[in-house]
Amino acid sequence: MTDLPHAPLTVVLVAAAATFVWRALGAILVDRIDPEGAVVRWFTLTSYALLAALVVRLVGLPTGSLGGVSLAIRLAAVAVTLGVWWLTRRNPLLGVLAGTACFIAAVTWTAGP
Amino acid sequence: MTKSESRSAAFRGFRDAISVPLLMVGGGMAGFGALAHDIGFASWEAVLASLLVWALPAQVVAADLYTSGADLIAIAIAATLASMRFFPMAVALLPTLGKPRGGRLGRIAQAQLMSATSWAFLMRGSAPSEPRQRLAYHTVFALTCLSIGALGTIAGYLGAAGLPRPLALGLLFLNAASFTVLLIETRNRQALLAVVLGAALCAPIHSVIPEASLVLASVIGGTLAFVLGDRLRKPAG
Repeated sequence: MTDLPHAPLTVVLVAAAATFVWRALGAILVDRIDPEGAVVRWFTLTSYALLAALVVRLVGLPTGSLGGVSLAIRLAAVAVTLGVWWLTRRNPLLGVLAGTACFIAAVTWTAGP
Repeated sequence: MTKSESRSAAFRGFRDAISVPLLMVGGGMAGFGALAHDIGFASWEAVLASLLVWALPAQVVAADLYTSGADLIAIAIAATLASMRFFPMAVALLPTLGKPRGGRLGRIAQAQLMSATSWAFLMRGSAPSEPRQRLAYHTVFALTCLSIGALGTIAGYLGAAGLPRPLALGLLFLNAASFTVLLIETRNRQALLAVVLGAALCAPIHSVIPEASLVLASVIGGTLAFVLGDRLRKPAG
């Protein structure tokens, strides 16, 4: 981790600026944009695709410590998250808690005594 | 009269924020705090990220690309794409808050406070309907969420540093789990198509150009869903 090209603070400021641009643009153009229009729809769809790709990266291609946990455990925990979410009538909180609990249990189990 | 109504709307904003959002925002930001610790951020840098960026996907994207050694332009593009949704969210939400004091700057301030959670709560039928009350409700709700987010970040950071390994890893997994649920909550078919395409494209692109996999998968996936979805919608409608 010592040879990374940027300071964390720079990365934080870049991400903050990138996010602020959209918030400010929305606030400034608020009266001139059709919320149902094609531009807004493309923005929304691309955001969804990005979030999906991010989940694939976090679960399937992790860069940090998660990479030390087997892919089977990572995938199973996501499956439990989805399963419990569905079984509890789409309760997001219970899904996330159950998936994370299973993940912790599986990591503990496979780490051995 | 109006003042007391605004005050009670503000109180409702606080009360609503310390229910389910407390757990979702606190948990999500704890996941980010754990990630920030994992990749070598200082604790203040992690909290600063939550306070300034105030958008979990952009924070996680930036952190993820930072560890993979991506250059600043790549990080900026990916964070920009991750935060693009704030534009349509602001366009839909801000007019319902009436004209805030401070004109345009007041609006920008509300947009900066806005999060996916505050947006969703303000769009519910049970939220206050009168603009002044909505403004008071949103301000207090969002500020409470921001405080919860900062505390969650610190808790996750310290948790990752001090908890046994399985629990620390569990905190890291929180991000993936919460984004998964966020995606599956999508009711709209065209958005689901974008989700499927973004997920399907990420790994193949990653094997060729790892640095650009997020950006390319989202732009190609989003655009394909936009074009295909519009075509699919036409015969049905």
